[in-house]
Amino acid sequence: MVLDLLASGLVFSSIIVLGSIGLSLIYSIANFANFAHGDTMTVGAYAAFVTFGAVGGLGFGILGLPLGFFVALVVGIVAAAVVAVVTEKVVYDGMNASSIQLLITSIGIAFIYRAIIQMSFGADFTRFDVQTQRPIEALLPYGVRVTQHDVAIVVSAVVLVGSLHTLLQYTDLGRKMRAMADNPDLARVSGIRTDRVKLWTWIIGAGLAGSGGVFLGLYNQLSPRMGFNLLLLIFAAVILGGIGSVYGAMLGGLLIGVINQLTPVLSDIRFLTEMGTMLPLVPDSFGIVIGIEYANAIAFVIMVAVLLVRPNGIAGEAV
Amino acid sequence: MGALSDPKGYWADLTRAERGVVGFIVGFAVLLLAGLLTGALSPTYFLFLVGIAGMYALLSFGLNSQWGFSGLINFSVAAFFGIGAYGTALMSADSSPIAGGVLPIVGLFVALAVAAVIALAIGIPTLRLRADYLAIASLGLAEVVRLVVLNERQITNGSAGVRGIPPFFEGWPVLATLPQQLPGLVIRPLPGTELVLETPFWGALLNVAIVVAFVGISYGILRRAHRSPWGRVLRTIRADEDLARALGKNTYAFKMQSFVLGSLIMALAGVFYAHLNLFVSPGDLDPVTTFYVWVAVILGGSGSNRGALFGGVVIVTIREGTRFLSGLSGFVLDLGVVALQFDLSFISSNVAPLRFLLIGVLIVVLMRYRPQGILPPQRELIWPSVVDDPPSKLDSGVRGVKAGESDE
Repeated sequence: MVLDLLASGLVFSSIIVLGSIGLSLIYSIANFANFAHGDTMTVGAYAAFVTFGAVGGLGFGILGLPLGFFVALVVGIVAAAVVAVVTEKVVYDGMNASSIQLLITSIGIAFIYRAIIQMSFGADFTRFDVQTQRPIEALLPYGVRVTQHDVAIVVSAVVLVGSLHTLLQYTDLGRKMRAMADNPDLARVSGIRTDRVKLWTWIIGAGLAGSGGVFLGLYNQLSPRMGFNLLLLIFAAVILGGIGSVYGAMLGGLLIGVINQLTPVLSDIRFLTEMGTMLPLVPDSFGIVIGIEYANAIAFVIMVAVLLVRPNGIAGEAV
Repeated sequence: MGALSDPKGYWADLTRAERGVVGFIVGFAVLLLAGLLTGALSPTYFLFLVGIAGMYALLSFGLNSQWGFSGLINFSVAAFFGIGAYGTALMSADSSPIAGGVLPIVGLFVALAVAAVIALAIGIPTLRLRADYLAIASLGLAEVVRLVVLNERQITNGSAGVRGIPPFFEGWPVLATLPQQLPGLVIRPLPGTELVLETPFWGALLNVAIVVAFVGISYGILRRAHRSPWGRVLRTIRADEDLARALGKNTYAFKMQSFVLGSLIMALAGVFYAHLNLFVSPGDLDPVTTFYVWVAVILGGSGSNRGALFGGVVIVTIREGTRFLSGLSGFVLDLGVVALQFDLSFISSNVAPLRFLLIGVLIVVLMRYRPQGILPPQRELIWPSVVDDPPSKLDSGVRGVKAGESDE
């Protein structure tokens, strides 16, 4: 059972990682906590939903997904990036505001995205028109129940994250982005066009969020609230990894996703469920069952704990 | 200087923004009065709206004493509101799984005590955090509170909510049965319209009296606190925490006091809501309430109590006013030659997201063009009696600070 939970944790982590990298990038370069990031994921998901409805089962299938789905994925990524860049140009750019004012503004932006999506598609849940799959037979003997779609999510996330790694480490733009994340003023005086780098950061961050949204829609369902519901988990991942650190965000996303899916294990812990018998002066029937419904709560508590003990996260520099 | 003794001087003394707000309030009041007189707005529903507006004003006061006074970004407004509502509901309601049947006034104090304890529990870890971390952490902890209320069925009744909450004055000597005892009245303010004032109306009037009392007490306390030395320390912390620390202030303790004070006022709003609505459910802890209250405070002007009051009223106008849109289906404009048909069914079928859109646009526009809010605090910071004479020239001194130039 633990193996199965680990596997589904890995799938869920892939989605969280795609969201958290973008949030972390924007946090480090635009310098504010972007509360609209979750709804950027929703934008990507719905753009892909529309595209997939149009191109349908185009072409042959890879891992149980028709080629049309990957076309839709690309459209989702592009749509999220375009929406984010337009928002940056129209709203954030030239606002000359403190990071707190930008944070509050981004809440307004999140509401606008969500309201427009809800107006166009309604508040109900929808799903991509792909066939639901049975778990892969070969893995069932090990107790692992993952579908080909899950594998597709993990593989695509690995490809995307790998390309980002290549971009950051081996290209000119990546070096500039890292320089700017380190010290924006120094980057500017060294002749880096920081505006352009900032724009690319928005494109990359929002694009990855868009892809995360598409996969979230494939993994669960689509709804106007899908991204917002995931936002706090993504924040937890980013903080756990260390704000501003892309590799920290990857690690944090991986951990938060796995911990989230491993929650059922906690409900078996004897100490919590039989607390009454172990503590004096407490009724024997007393016990706390931490079920799956508290999966998110655990992530938030971890987030606060990390903030207290190591505010710069596990991969960030020590204070 | 009063508005009644010297209206001309009072008007001349107002800033442009204040004049706009006064104009808006007068216009809005005229509109409401017209609605009442023509029967378009039922008096009972109108009083319900006043109650809700008072509730939002309380929430804004609470947030204002955290964010406006000392700069704490608290995104757990809805959680404290819910704790207040659940605290009193679980004590007094018939269907309460744990207690029930207790007098609502006891429920009020229990709710406030629980809110204070939870405020300490949330504040102790989070108030040391940097501003934006505090925002994220408090939103996360508010979600934890919501999940607990939703899932601990044996304590809170879970998603079914708590029903059968008695009105606030249940068990009081005269007030408990006052609405039933007052006679029914029928008023005909205009020919053809008829206003029936019966038990529900008197009950609603009693609720308004409660909320007015709550708002008045909170306003009095906060106004006094804001101008006191204690409030000055908070303002210093907000402007420059390092400076406050360098001056020997224990900023953590001050922030904690302001956090608990604000949380208590939010819980008070929750208590009122529980006895107004007579039903509470985990939906009342939805984070969207938090954002509504944030809009109210920013709109009014962070740090300004009368601004918070104004913002609370505007939020209710948006929240309740958009409800009327759902009745729209369309109309035909007959120009004689050609009849234009307007189809409004798109709006009426999308009221909830429309309200959301409106709130979002309001946040963005405010932060972009007027981050200090419509009524930034200016005269509120100093006791009027401290200033011996109003400065002769308007561009100097405290009174001369016009909207837009004051840095809070």
